[in-house]
Amino acid sequence: MQGFAVALQPMNLLWCFVGVVLGTVVGVMPGLGPPATIAMLLPLTFLMNPASAIIMLAGIYYGAKYGGSTTSILLNVPGESASVATCFDGYQMARNGRAGAALGIAAIASFIAGTVGVIGIMLVAPPLARMALAFSSPEYFALMALGLAMVVLLAGRSMVKALLATLVGLWLAGIGTDLFSQTSRFTFGRMELLSGIDFVVVAIGVFAIGEVLANMEGREAAKALPVPKGWRNLLPTLQDLKDSRFAFLNGSVVGFLIGVLPGAGSTIASFISYGLEKAVSRRPEQFGKGVVEGVAAPEGANNAETGGALIPMLTLGIPGSSTTAVLLAALVLWGFKPGPLFIPENPALFWGLVASMYIGNLMLLVLNMPLVPLFAQVLRTPAYILYPVILGIAMVGVYSTSGSLFDVWLLAGFGLLGYLMRKLDYPSAPLILGLVLGGAMERALRQSLMMSDGHVSILVSRPVSAVMLSLALLILLMPVFGKINRWRLQALEK
Amino acid sequence: MKKAFALAVGMALAVPAFSQSFTPSRPVEVVVHTGPGGGSDVLARAMVLIMEKEKLLPVRMQVANKPGGGGAAAAAYLAEKKGEAHTIGIFTGVWLTNPLTSAEAKVSLKDLTPIVRLLLEPAVIAVKADAPYKTLGEFVNAAKQKPGELKQSGGSITSRDNVVRQQLQKVSGARWQFISFPGGGERIAALLGGHVQMMVIEPNEAGEHIRAGNMRLLAQVSDARLPAFPNVPTLKEAGFNVTPVPQVRGVVAPPGIPRENVAYWEGVFKKLTQTESWKKYVADNQFEEAYQNAADLSRFYEEFSNQMRGVLQEAGIKLVR
Repeated sequence: MQGFAVALQPMNLLWCFVGVVLGTVVGVMPGLGPPATIAMLLPLTFLMNPASAIIMLAGIYYGAKYGGSTTSILLNVPGESASVATCFDGYQMARNGRAGAALGIAAIASFIAGTVGVIGIMLVAPPLARMALAFSSPEYFALMALGLAMVVLLAGRSMVKALLATLVGLWLAGIGTDLFSQTSRFTFGRMELLSGIDFVVVAIGVFAIGEVLANMEGREAAKALPVPKGWRNLLPTLQDLKDSRFAFLNGSVVGFLIGVLPGAGSTIASFISYGLEKAVSRRPEQFGKGVVEGVAAPEGANNAETGGALIPMLTLGIPGSSTTAVLLAALVLWGFKPGPLFIPENPALFWGLVASMYIGNLMLLVLNMPLVPLFAQVLRTPAYILYPVILGIAMVGVYSTSGSLFDVWLLAGFGLLGYLMRKLDYPSAPLILGLVLGGAMERALRQSLMMSDGHVSILVSRPVSAVMLSLALLILLMPVFGKINRWRLQALEK
Repeated sequence: MKKAFALAVGMALAVPAFSQSFTPSRPVEVVVHTGPGGGSDVLARAMVLIMEKEKLLPVRMQVANKPGGGGAAAAAYLAEKKGEAHTIGIFTGVWLTNPLTSAEAKVSLKDLTPIVRLLLEPAVIAVKADAPYKTLGEFVNAAKQKPGELKQSGGSITSRDNVVRQQLQKVSGARWQFISFPGGGERIAALLGGHVQMMVIEPNEAGEHIRAGNMRLLAQVSDARLPAFPNVPTLKEAGFNVTPVPQVRGVVAPPGIPRENVAYWEGVFKKLTQTESWKKYVADNQFEEAYQNAADLSRFYEEFSNQMRGVLQEAGIKLVR
């Protein structure tokens, strides 16, 4: 209650509003991410009191997760890495004329999961942070393996093609300087490749540029995508909400729990939540063709992750992502001492922040819902304007992240790859999955083996990792079970 | 001679109307090699704030993040800006070690114009509060009895964390594992979770965990005891004859910068280090004030490179230069 007394002060309400609006804008624009925005605003925060400042900066952080889905759904351009999984079904929904419903469900899922995340911070922050410490390299490896097993679920018609695409993704993840031996791998003497290939470049190239190239084949297409007509397509229907019931829960819980782990992150959270949704769905064959729960799950996950990620930062002073690292730096610059004693020593600030996050999430919902029908009108733009605009946004987005022209060329290369994959019917999601998980998975495996002095048993002798690895194996074997079942049924018929 | 000249110009600058000198006429770009939130980025932004507050520059400063290649991208960017008077960069020791180990990192600090050294960042050796080791000697003995079983979390193998380990292993004959984690948060989490037994950590990061009773210090990686930890011995005091490798931060400019520009910057940064705000910032973060002018900095490069070269070779890391 003390928290709301802080958060409801008019000044703090105003800064909360400024933060979430800025966050939404930053999220919508590919390239400009929350860490850069927060860093740029740091000088300004010295003119404010710390409570207002942290409320505003946090608003940017979670507000960006709301905005990130917009370009994913409308243009197949992920606004940030956490929104890649939203492209899978979100863009397909837009192609089916249901862009409004997709945007709406993304906002609602974000609101629910964001709120669950805040409740999580309020109730279980300290014990959960201690539990997260028990999670080490073997567990991270198992988590990544579980994520990678999802490839079976993301495969299109051909499993072989899906696995090939995954391997390419894993190889791309291996490019750059090896952390453990400081050797360069597959850099071909290019300084630009020393720190690896940014996964956003690949995602935007394969999804957005590939899509544009593929669509340009049709000569007559005047409109890129159907414009949503009628309320049914402008906002989510009751049926949509009903279909997303489990996705809201899944996204909230998975996102929050993965968020608490300092070594995971929102991208992985959104992928795992999407995979889980498909694994338990009664209509898995519809995924990737525009189902509403395929948007709700990853969007929920990347919002709940924000709440989770703030936990190690606030309770232990441990940053799990670049955004929390900037927030931590801000706290130090304002004269605080983030660490285990931060919350007990600054209760007003902490509870004010928590309360402001409830208010901020509500503001974001109110702010985003009316924008949905408006954003959907973007699709009225004729193709000959929209496609160049998409290409422009993609290039500016990539260039503004790294400031390197090399990345723009990479973008073009991956765009071509995306186009070829589409033509040859290779699914692109497994490639992205391999790239997202590959680096962290390799690191976790090598760390585990160093911890155990080379004994592989460390991966299965710890209960949490053993359970996750068994789950991964189960998912991998699912298609085999399906086949056996089909044979059995055929045999029975005979 | 050079030093005397720089000093003379620096002093002349204290008088505002010095006609021959360089003065920036448009915003100055401050290049850092990390993304927002990284060590150099935070330092650069704090520095910009203090510069503005104390009105040390007639123009604004803007931080430009050029991440990539462990400093290689930022160094290459500065090298390309040859002769550009309105760009400076914040360097760390990585800018010197990276070109030693990776062939792609072609630009070394020695190819850029040295300006000043600003800070040294001391480190401390920490264990979990409930660990059985009360002194560094006890830890090293435990490692000796069970070779390769104890673990240390840290950054890359060329980082200072590993350098300290290599040095301690060399003088003691003990051996323990070094496990690399890309993020600072993960390193601390690995220690607090009991997955590794020891880490080399920045003093103010450790300070809060000590206050909360989660961590204990065994030694400090510095020449003299830090004011915040008067009771923790330095490496030498703990009985290990090891020269601490400093974590250094300072300022460089693109190649081909006229001498009066260097002198101008030397003057500005000298004034910066004398301000109360800067002193407070340095104290708050438990850094070590370590101003050096351009001439001294060049000599420091040599010493540091040679020291690192030896340590890396002993660690079995392949050197390319």
